[in-house]
Amino acid sequence: MSDQTDVLQGTLDLLIMRTIALEPMHGWAIALRIQQVSNDLLRVQQGSLYPALHRLEHQGWITAAWGVSENNRRARYYALTKAGRKQLVIEVSKWDRLSAGVNLVVQRT
Amino acid sequence: MRLWHILQSRLRSLFFRDRRESDLREELQFHLERETERLQASGLPRDAARLHARRVFGGVEPIKEACRDARGLSWLETLARDLRHSLRRLIRDWRFTTAAVLILGLGIGANTAMFSVINAVLFRHASLPEPARLVDIYQRSADPGGQDFNSYPAYLDVADYTDLFASTMATSIPHGATYQHEGTLRPALIENTTGRYLSVLGLRPSLGRWFSPDEETRGAPVVTVLGHRTWRSRFGADPAVIGRTVRIDGVPVLIVGIGPAGHNGTINIGIVTDFWLPIASLEAFGMADALERRPNESMFLVKARLRDGVTVAQAQAAMDILGRRLAAEYPNEDPGRGIRVVASKDIWIHPQFDGPIIATASTVLVIVGLVLAIACSNLATLLLVRGASRAKDISIRLAIGATRRQLVRQVLTESLLLSSVGGAAGCVLAWWGIRWLRTVELAMTIDLALDGRVLAFAIAVAVLTGIACGLAPALSATNVDLLPTLRGEGAAQAVAPRRLTPKNALIIFQVSMSVLLLGCASIFLQAADAERTKPLGYAVDGVAMLETDSRFTGYSAAHARTVYDELLRQTATIPGVESAALTRGLPGGITGQRLVVEGTAGDRESSVAAVMISAGPGYVETLRIPLLHGRAFDARDRANTPRVAVISETMARVYFGTANAVGRRFRLESEPGSWTEVIGVVRDVGTGLVDSHPHQFYLSFTQADAVPTTIVARTSRDAADLLAAMQRKLRDLDASLPVTTAKTMAQARADARTASQAIAASLVALGTLGLLLASVGLYAVIAFAVTRRSREIGIRLALGAPRQRVVWSVLRGVAGLVGIGTALGLALSVLATLALRAAYAPAPGVSLYRPTVDPVALLAIALIMGLVGVAAAFVPARRAVLTDPLVALRHD
Repeated sequence: MSDQTDVLQGTLDLLIMRTIALEPMHGWAIALRIQQVSNDLLRVQQGSLYPALHRLEHQGWITAAWGVSENNRRARYYALTKAGRKQLVIEVSKWDRLSAGVNLVVQRT
Repeated sequence: MRLWHILQSRLRSLFFRDRRESDLREELQFHLERETERLQASGLPRDAARLHARRVFGGVEPIKEACRDARGLSWLETLARDLRHSLRRLIRDWRFTTAAVLILGLGIGANTAMFSVINAVLFRHASLPEPARLVDIYQRSADPGGQDFNSYPAYLDVADYTDLFASTMATSIPHGATYQHEGTLRPALIENTTGRYLSVLGLRPSLGRWFSPDEETRGAPVVTVLGHRTWRSRFGADPAVIGRTVRIDGVPVLIVGIGPAGHNGTINIGIVTDFWLPIASLEAFGMADALERRPNESMFLVKARLRDGVTVAQAQAAMDILGRRLAAEYPNEDPGRGIRVVASKDIWIHPQFDGPIIATASTVLVIVGLVLAIACSNLATLLLVRGASRAKDISIRLAIGATRRQLVRQVLTESLLLSSVGGAAGCVLAWWGIRWLRTVELAMTIDLALDGRVLAFAIAVAVLTGIACGLAPALSATNVDLLPTLRGEGAAQAVAPRRLTPKNALIIFQVSMSVLLLGCASIFLQAADAERTKPLGYAVDGVAMLETDSRFTGYSAAHARTVYDELLRQTATIPGVESAALTRGLPGGITGQRLVVEGTAGDRESSVAAVMISAGPGYVETLRIPLLHGRAFDARDRANTPRVAVISETMARVYFGTANAVGRRFRLESEPGSWTEVIGVVRDVGTGLVDSHPHQFYLSFTQADAVPTTIVARTSRDAADLLAAMQRKLRDLDASLPVTTAKTMAQARADARTASQAIAASLVALGTLGLLLASVGLYAVIAFAVTRRSREIGIRLALGAPRQRVVWSVLRGVAGLVGIGTALGLALSVLATLALRAAYAPAPGVSLYRPTVDPVALLAIALIMGLVGVAAAFVPARRAVLTDPLVALRHD
């Protein structure tokens, strides 16, 4: 087993929403994309991914619909809602502030 | 938008749970397959790939659960789940559920139905605009113990005070008349009022108009305003009725308007006034003297609306001055005791009647409330018993992780569900009850409707009880130490049976309330029985009467008399008839009068009260009224012979000082010149009021040159046959004469008792209901006690105790409770009887039955309660006796 970085829940939401901002994707594709784009630094566990997806859907940031996947099978596609897009902007700015703050503290001491 | 989406998602998860589950499964399955394919693509064989993918994936179930948790359960889903659970539970414990629903339904239903009756008769107060400005004005009666009313001339004097009163009106007490509608004759209640009637009350006619000023003059053609309720029920709510003529007591009357909706009469006690006529029209009906007499037995009510800024005290001061002036101006006629002004909102019906009426109403309210109390306490007992037996179940749930909040919520849901079903059952029962009550025939129309407020109150009480009593055991059960309860040692911690636990207190309460209920029912039974066995003083068996109304046929008086005389002659020839007589009105009908005895001063202070009974030749003999002195009426007494009367024994003794008052004279107070001589003295008769009016005198219709209306006959054979024969003779003689009443005396008596019998029957039913409820409660408690002490019973039996002793030990505790409850209930019954006795102290003019404490009835009630207790204990006791000790020992 390669070491897995545990991702905080809030940032996981951010990652998911950012990933599907461009186009709707199904759960597996989202995990793969995150892994690829982060250069293998971030690996999302299924145990966290799907609960996060369902929670986001429950809260109304994303919607889910059945579609046909690349290999002609039924898959559940997630897309951002309008409110989700707005929330994404907020989350990104929150993350910027958080990471900037952490960086400052870590570099200081 | 987001909100809509959330709502959609919640509803979907509520209704499509299975689809969600399969969706989730499919989704995770898809992920697994894609991962497997990816690993395959990177070189692993299929099986190894799948295994690896699975391992990395982790357990599917925990993920599913995490997803489900991430969704969270909305409160709607929780409620649905709790409801489903409660429903299943209640259906499983169907015996308990049925009992609880029945109890609630009966309690709420009976309570609401009975209270609606009370409400209709006593409490439905008209909501008039600005009621604070309305006052009632009475002339104090000459008799200090008499009732205050008013006279028309005095009203006219009061109406002059336009600086005090914005408007005044006088209205007569509703009196009976007959009207002809679509060929049949019907009884009606009539109020004669002045023109400003509606403006004083602040109402408007719903259709048409009220009387105009020229219709209020004497001699004008008579018009009427039809009551709204009568318009709806008898005239089909047809607007074309305005302009039609209806005959009232033979007089053609034009309908000019329909009264206000919801206004059923000036006196708001549930009886319905059918027609309003102008006060001046009394003359057309032969009652012109009512308009001229000052003494207040003319029975008018005067109401007025105060001008802005005028207080009741100011009005009273002015009326005091007026009263003194009238007393001085009319020393012989005016009662002379002043005028009283009372704010309308301070009285229910009449200042002097309110006392006994409120006492009666309170009694019935209490009785009805008792039933509800018993029902609620019964439900409480059942719920407590059930709750206690679920202690173990609750402990298990706590042990495996349920929170207290969840458990309490579940119990609450269950209680609410039970209460709702019970409440619905109660509504249905109440509706049925009212429907049944409506069919009870009474002489007057009573406006009976299901009162929403009462229903709501009863339901609220029942629901609260259900919640409180379902909750209490849940809360206490969730507080116990888990381990001992799980092990079944909870029973060992139970308190000794004699202590005053809530359960015991409830049983005592139920038993005592049941006994009290039965006690009250027995009081009313006493009253009904007294009425039934009251000696009438005249014959009932074999007597029949036929009443007609020649006013509607247009006959001249002479012609009508000829017809009646012929009818009398023919009736006398019917085989078996011993005696027949003509009279006016129905036998036993009375009219209040004031008399002046010859030899006393002729002023108003020496006038005395008596009741006049209309009679004719042969009347006394036909009704077998014992003639003590002198003679009764015969053919000698005619319009041109001196006026004579037959008086009752008590009247002779009290007013004339001697039993044999033959030859003495008296006169009506209203007829100063015309003396009446006493020709005979008879025994007192019962006159139809609860307590008979002892001062009675009879006048013959032949002397008033009036037309008879009724023929009474007595036969030695069957009265029903006689009645049929009389009707045949009448039809053969004159088919156009309408018959208003055809009854045997026995029927008439029975009809007069209908109302009180209905009340007594209802109360007995309620009492039985209360008993039933109490017995159900007793049964539940005893059954539970037996079950709880099974182990103890088993040990005792195993050690050789005789079965009877074991059973007795179980029953002993309960017997004590029943005994205490019965004693308490009996004591309360006695108190109630005494209180009613005091409240029904003789009121002026009306005597009500004063209940006495009946030890026999109380003993009977105690015995009944004892029997009920034994019956309720029988089944559980038997079960205890037949217990196999081994089974009992293993019971936990």
